[in-house]
Amino acid sequence: MKKLLIFFIFFSTGLYSQEKITISGTVYENTSNETLIGVSVYIPELNAGTSTNEYGFYSLTLPKGKYTVQISYLGFITIKEQIKLTTNITKNFKLNEEAESLGEIVIQSDIEKLNVRTPQMSVNKLSSATIKKIPVVLGEADIIKSLLLLPGVTSAGEGASGFNVRGGAADQNLILLDEAIVFNSSHLFGFFSVFNPDVIKDVKLYKGGIPAKFGGRLSSVLDIYQKEGNSKDFNITGGIGLVSSRLLVEGPIEEEKSSFVVAGRASYAHLFLPLFNNDNKAYFYDLNSKINYRFNDRNNVFLSTYFGKDVFGVNESFVNDYGNTVLNLRWNHLFSDKIFSNLSLIYSDYFYGLTLDFVGFEWDSGITNFNLKYDFKNYLNDQFTLSYGINNIYSKFNPGEIVPNREDSGIQPEKLIDKYANEFAAYLSAEQRISEKLTFEYGLRYSNFSRLGQDEINSYENNNPVIYNEEFKRYESAEAIGINTYKRSDVLASFQNFEPRFSLSYLVNEESSVKMSYNRMVQYLHLLSNTSSPTPLDIWTPSGQFVKPQKLDQFAVGYFKSIKNGDYSLETEAFYKDIQNRIDYINGANLVANNEIETVILNGQARAYGLEVLVKKNEGDFTGWFAYTWSKSEQQTPGRTENEPGINSGEWYSTPFDKTHDFSLNGSYELSKKWTFNANFLFQTGQPTNYPVGQYEISGLNVPIYDDNRRNADRLPAYHRLDISATLTPEKNKNRTWQGEWVFGIYNVYGRQNAASINFRQNRETRRNEAVQTSIFGLVPSVTYNFKF
Amino acid sequence: MKNIHIIPILLLFSLCNCEKVVDVEVPSIEPKLVIDASFEVFFDENPVSAKTDIKLKLSADYFEETIPVVTDASVFITDLSSRTIFNYEDSNADGTYTTSQSFIPLENNNYELTVIYNNETYKATSKRIKSTPLTRVEQGNQTLFSGEETEIKLYFSDDGTVDNYYIFDFSNSLYLALEDRFFNGAEYSFSNFYQEDDIELPATVTIKMSGVSKEYYTYFNILIDQSGQDAGGPFESVPSSLLGNIINTTNEDNFPLGYFQISESDTFTIDLEQR
Repeated sequence: MKKLLIFFIFFSTGLYSQEKITISGTVYENTSNETLIGVSVYIPELNAGTSTNEYGFYSLTLPKGKYTVQISYLGFITIKEQIKLTTNITKNFKLNEEAESLGEIVIQSDIEKLNVRTPQMSVNKLSSATIKKIPVVLGEADIIKSLLLLPGVTSAGEGASGFNVRGGAADQNLILLDEAIVFNSSHLFGFFSVFNPDVIKDVKLYKGGIPAKFGGRLSSVLDIYQKEGNSKDFNITGGIGLVSSRLLVEGPIEEEKSSFVVAGRASYAHLFLPLFNNDNKAYFYDLNSKINYRFNDRNNVFLSTYFGKDVFGVNESFVNDYGNTVLNLRWNHLFSDKIFSNLSLIYSDYFYGLTLDFVGFEWDSGITNFNLKYDFKNYLNDQFTLSYGINNIYSKFNPGEIVPNREDSGIQPEKLIDKYANEFAAYLSAEQRISEKLTFEYGLRYSNFSRLGQDEINSYENNNPVIYNEEFKRYESAEAIGINTYKRSDVLASFQNFEPRFSLSYLVNEESSVKMSYNRMVQYLHLLSNTSSPTPLDIWTPSGQFVKPQKLDQFAVGYFKSIKNGDYSLETEAFYKDIQNRIDYINGANLVANNEIETVILNGQARAYGLEVLVKKNEGDFTGWFAYTWSKSEQQTPGRTENEPGINSGEWYSTPFDKTHDFSLNGSYELSKKWTFNANFLFQTGQPTNYPVGQYEISGLNVPIYDDNRRNADRLPAYHRLDISATLTPEKNKNRTWQGEWVFGIYNVYGRQNAASINFRQNRETRRNEAVQTSIFGLVPSVTYNFKF
Repeated sequence: MKNIHIIPILLLFSLCNCEKVVDVEVPSIEPKLVIDASFEVFFDENPVSAKTDIKLKLSADYFEETIPVVTDASVFITDLSSRTIFNYEDSNADGTYTTSQSFIPLENNNYELTVIYNNETYKATSKRIKSTPLTRVEQGNQTLFSGEETEIKLYFSDDGTVDNYYIFDFSNSLYLALEDRFFNGAEYSFSNFYQEDDIELPATVTIKMSGVSKEYYTYFNILIDQSGQDAGGPFESVPSSLLGNIINTTNEDNFPLGYFQISESDTFTIDLEQR
């Protein structure tokens, strides 16, 4: 409470500073009139500044006077302008791209300065230009694969969905596309991410020190914004690749007022499958669209949609499809030149469907949610910014429905019981400059989660859905003793939490700073998965009487240095995370089509700690970075009583995404206007796995023995690979209305056979036991043609 | 149901052709007694017959080529209602114990298995689980991913009054565990597929359908999983120890592996032809 009080003291002091003048506006990219996110607006005389928000807006409140305003953004020409502040003014800026000013000497200064100054730490940004240059498998530029090159971010391997941040699970990432939650980030079981790189404007990954504005997931926030579309000219961009083709159309509806963008991407049907002479299909597609209308400088409305789908099928006997749908209406409104607001109404759903004709059924499951968000940012003065807002999410979970797919199938329809929940949150957060050197960001998020009434829910003896069978030494599902029926308006369980967030930065000198942060996060949804990486079928379940919300406390401390005016930068961070209520499963748990999921869940905790180093070269012909992470990620599921062993005898065990060393190197070299070269190298400790401790024979089967006391105690071999790519921009581009570009790439240049898994089985012919390593990609060459006109 | 989602993944994995046998050093443990006591009562035959042999082996290090058999144990079954004892002998000294008495497990009767080995006593109880006959089995023409699979269609009518759990034995150590949750009481048919390398056509195969308890169904499902019939990949569930229903009454910690169960079984023999 004390903190809140301090809040308002500063809040009121802000209001009384009448002598000050506000300059506010929006920063645009000159050729397309796209707003720019994170542009530095800096006043050298006062050593004060701000940066543009997610909608390109900035606001600075300063004493009366004459100043230089410096607008700078990486890759763009810095604008320096003298401004006399006597009355409140609105001033929009238009930045020109560096590359378009051939031969000019570009002054690059002070760009990184604010980075050093702002208390926000543990954030990585990627521009869509960087993402497109990073060589990736089969030449498909990919956000998630690019993130994996950053410190603290790993994945369960090639062809595995999702990503892991600082030893967190894949379900602990909040993935936002234009503020809407996306549940599944992968196409083709993880080979590609669902984000079309052409339509992405800005990508920001928060790994720690997460602002109070965000909540609902523990480990990270991946905040992605889509382009609004060129409001000056019609443009068509696209690409033809080995796996998919892309096309984006954008243009003005009303010049500089309203624009649209439509982007589509589709893989070729029968992808991968010409190998088989069957009537098979496997493809994905996605469609992004956005319309915006700028009524005036104070009101701006956006309508955006995303629709993506994957389809697999073999004859009519097997069809599998899944995908996300997002619909999003937003309204930006300026209450004054100091108060920016955004209201979002979001619908999002994830669907998974499966038809198996040879068994005779169709299955579908999914999650639907309605999300209302109202966020405010109040730029009180150059020392104090206040953010506050509310968020309400209503979710419906469909754990599955099975219906016969034909008359004679014999399958009886069954609907698993739908689950419902509502999550409300309100937050207040302040960024405050205490002195020249010290800046604080502090806030509090209040979250309230209600598990709403469902048609049927089981009750158990002693309220205990999992029992330990001491005779056979194993956990078993309890039998329900009764079934209760509730109305939708009933609340089965409710949780409320205060989530404090705090970070500070202390400027050691103009080039370097020390930052510290603490954040508590609460996650009320759990992804049910007992595999090492999520599958599209994985089902989300809300917290309730039997499953408690996950809670995290994270501490991080870091040292940041900008070298040679931002040409180079160094970021080092250490973090410690403690997670309560991380679930694990009893042996042999069946997570699919299980109405009584509580009977297979054991409750535990998790922790992770590590050290990250990131060195970047931001300017020049050669740019790139080097990232190294040392970390540990562990989990513990102790027995609930002394007679129970828990998992791994109650001792700590490595999580499936524990990677001790994670090293990556990314470099880009611009040889000439014609040729650009790119390379990246990755090295990671192999992921934890389980080797058998013996074998036995039963019913003619040879079965490996696994020891429950050494969970995840073995490791796959280390993962490493080198990728290269070259981009050719033909010179004749200059003289024609359209521009083309070739991207040649080789993924895994030295053909390293990285282990995705090692499985133990008996060879059917020799009858000998063997360990079989599965690798996914060897050396993969690719070529992509991108065009723009 | 359980592993259906693995299918599409298999599809992808099979594309890259990048499986290779690797050398791996595996940990080892002291050998454990493995008791394979899976009795089958062929209830639909006339006269009713039963398979009641018990196999005793030891566990071995994973890459060991031979699995030792246990020939010096004393083994008997007790009918807990009539207190009749059926004595077992390993007459061929190959780890397979049989009884010379006429023994057909009865319905609603509890049976206790006792094995005494190395001065330690192992015990388990079980009772006969009802099943239903296979109405018919046919060869079908459908294929799956490779186009080279052989389809067989199984028909049976499920008993709607109870929850049934079945294990199908397709010969060549190919099994499928099925519960009647989604077809309780129905005239049900489903297809199963032999992979190209599972079977060489033409062939005569015997399909066996057994009724089992819920516990054994769960156990056997994991057993099939762990034996590597479903290829793994990153989507494989975390492997875990698999204890059956037998306990060591002398030394609790030295738990045995294996299961004692009595099922009702029915077989159907079919000639599969090349199509």
